[in-house]
Amino acid sequence: MNSNDGGAELRLVVPGDQIDAPPGTQPGSGVYKRGDNLVATKLGELKIGGDLAHVVPTFTKYLPRSGDLVIGYVEAVMNNLWFLDVGGPFNALLPMSLAPWKVEFGAAREHMGYGDAVLARVMEVDETHSVVATMKGVGLRKIKEGTIFEMPPHLIGLVIGSNGRTLQRLKVASDCRIITTQNGRILIDGNGKGIAIARKALQMIEETGHAPGLHSRLNGILGDDE
Amino acid sequence: MVQLVPQLLRQQLAELAANDERIDGRSRWQSRDVELEVDILYNAEGSAKVVMGDTIVYVGVKFDTAAPYSDRPTSGSLMTGAELRPVAHRKYEPGPPSPESIELGRVVDRGIRESGCMDMESLCIVPGESVWRVMIDLHVLSDGGNIFDACATAAIAALRTATVPAKRFDVGEDFKLELKSTPVMCSFTRVGGRYVYDANEAEELGGDERVHITLGDEGHLHSLQKGLKGVLMPEEFAEILAQAGDKCAELRELIHSKEA
Amino acid sequence: MMGGYGDIKLLNDDGTRLDGRAVDELRPVEIKAGVLPVADGSAWVKHGLNVAVAAVYGPMEAHPRKIQRQDRAVIDVRYNMAPFSTSDRIRPGFNRRSREISKVTAEALESVVLVERFPRSKIRVEIEILAAEAGTRCVGITAASVALADAGIPMRDMIVGVASGKIEDVVVLDLDKAEDNYGQADLPMGILPNTGEIAFLQMDGDLSVEEYNLACEYNYKAASEIHELMKQALLDSASRGDA
Repeated sequence: MNSNDGGAELRLVVPGDQIDAPPGTQPGSGVYKRGDNLVATKLGELKIGGDLAHVVPTFTKYLPRSGDLVIGYVEAVMNNLWFLDVGGPFNALLPMSLAPWKVEFGAAREHMGYGDAVLARVMEVDETHSVVATMKGVGLRKIKEGTIFEMPPHLIGLVIGSNGRTLQRLKVASDCRIITTQNGRILIDGNGKGIAIARKALQMIEETGHAPGLHSRLNGILGDDE
Repeated sequence: MVQLVPQLLRQQLAELAANDERIDGRSRWQSRDVELEVDILYNAEGSAKVVMGDTIVYVGVKFDTAAPYSDRPTSGSLMTGAELRPVAHRKYEPGPPSPESIELGRVVDRGIRESGCMDMESLCIVPGESVWRVMIDLHVLSDGGNIFDACATAAIAALRTATVPAKRFDVGEDFKLELKSTPVMCSFTRVGGRYVYDANEAEELGGDERVHITLGDEGHLHSLQKGLKGVLMPEEFAEILAQAGDKCAELRELIHSKEA
Repeated sequence: MMGGYGDIKLLNDDGTRLDGRAVDELRPVEIKAGVLPVADGSAWVKHGLNVAVAAVYGPMEAHPRKIQRQDRAVIDVRYNMAPFSTSDRIRPGFNRRSREISKVTAEALESVVLVERFPRSKIRVEIEILAAEAGTRCVGITAASVALADAGIPMRDMIVGVASGKIEDVVVLDLDKAEDNYGQADLPMGILPNTGEIAFLQMDGDLSVEEYNLACEYNYKAASEIHELMKQALLDSASRGDA
């Protein structure tokens, strides 16, 4: 059995595995109730705490949630609406009324067109997974500079690190502005050398994921941890 | 097969190109590591698998007998098929063969056919009655960029290690398909304004046109193809042709190293 | 073309099969997860001389509109045999057998994937058979299940594909090519290893009820062996830290 940085035992489960949990434990994310039993529905690390059992999946697609900060790519523009690819099952809709510009009807394309990238926030998601995004908010904007790294969304937590430690190391070592989003797209802005360092580090996080010893592996790319 | 091209990516590729850099840190003419395995598919008379970065392709060579063309009664035949199936990438939708997959098959075929590496007369069984038909099938499992070179390399490697199944067809003993040479393909893509060798997925997504060059053992050109929208100047072509000489030689060495 | 096969003996005098296996023995099986870098989830399965690769993409917007379901995801399966996968080359293009297998495989997977979680979307499952040696539809189901788990698609259980049959009046587990060609019955099944439910069931040939029951028993026993390999492949992939 592996152990993570905290020293606790790592219990990996696959879909269908029965979970041994104290009676009364409720099914959380990645867990399903079948009669009196709890069953894992995803491949990942089982966590039982309080009266909840859930699985932290090793891989998951981005599912938009209200309040999420996202980077979207404009996939289509209609008269008063932009359709954004946010990496989830559906496009997010960005209506003219939630854009920062005063847009004449039919002139949406002049502000943002096919292939443009935008930093936006998910405003609401309804039961049919229809998503509305907004650009009204601090820092939300059309992205004009920088590079976007696509990280599997479930690894964003690793990129940030506990108390933001890892993200801080990345920013300092690369001397770049780095913005992480809930849909896994990371904006890196700075000079060429710095961007290359940040990309290399992010690549390594993507490839080795939750395997223990991340900070020592990062030393090779970012320099020693202070 | 429509894909979103983030404008920011094109911008980034242009900035990198201006600094003589590439998005994955390679130098301009540097290829990704190439892994080649041959003779790995149980039912194929010749087979190869090539891995280049995130690109994974399998090529199988099968034989059967057929009547020859009436104007070439002692000549065997060659055909190359390619399928860009949905398994290979999110962007490939199910349906009839796309123009992209047809182009891939035909370009790989031309390089092999026009090089004369196969002695088609040696594939005669009974003159005027039956000849061997060589069927190459390109099967892309993962499209991480530059499927052309991956497929062409696997195809020639599979051919060079193929065995003609004469016994199964009751026309004699099995024999090795002897090729006279090793045509090799090199592909260059315009990324951020300039040509680079062996584009990866991001470079193809944000890049422009591509040029495929197949060279024979002596460095002669055996086929050329320019694909996608864009134009190039003669000097640009001369530059990539010069690079192709070295790159094809490296791949040829790799292919030969897998032969018994 | 197939001279002398009418006299082929599929069972040796000591009761073992041509390849030395006992009547209830599986061919060697190897499973790996996370083998295709571009797909959301993937698996590679070698079973005897069969080789299958499966890729999963999704959930994604269901196109065309007409296949979309308001209350759940649609599972879109393509089972395909590569032209070089069989002894005689298969011409690419529409193939009725593949179309049928795609349909019943999708229906099997729909009974384990928690499709209500993704209304109006679709999950693409691409099964490619690279080498065929009898039992490809079962290998495809196994590969698809592992690929779905690798892709993080929630499932209440996985499905194990396994087949038994009858040769020379003897029920045997896991027919190989000669046994499938010259045998008397074939019973492929897709079994949920944790609940024992059957999600995939086909049969052809001639089986008495007792023979069916024995074949079924062999399938269940083998399913639990294969299931261990599926789990191991996924756990290995997870501890490698593959995304």
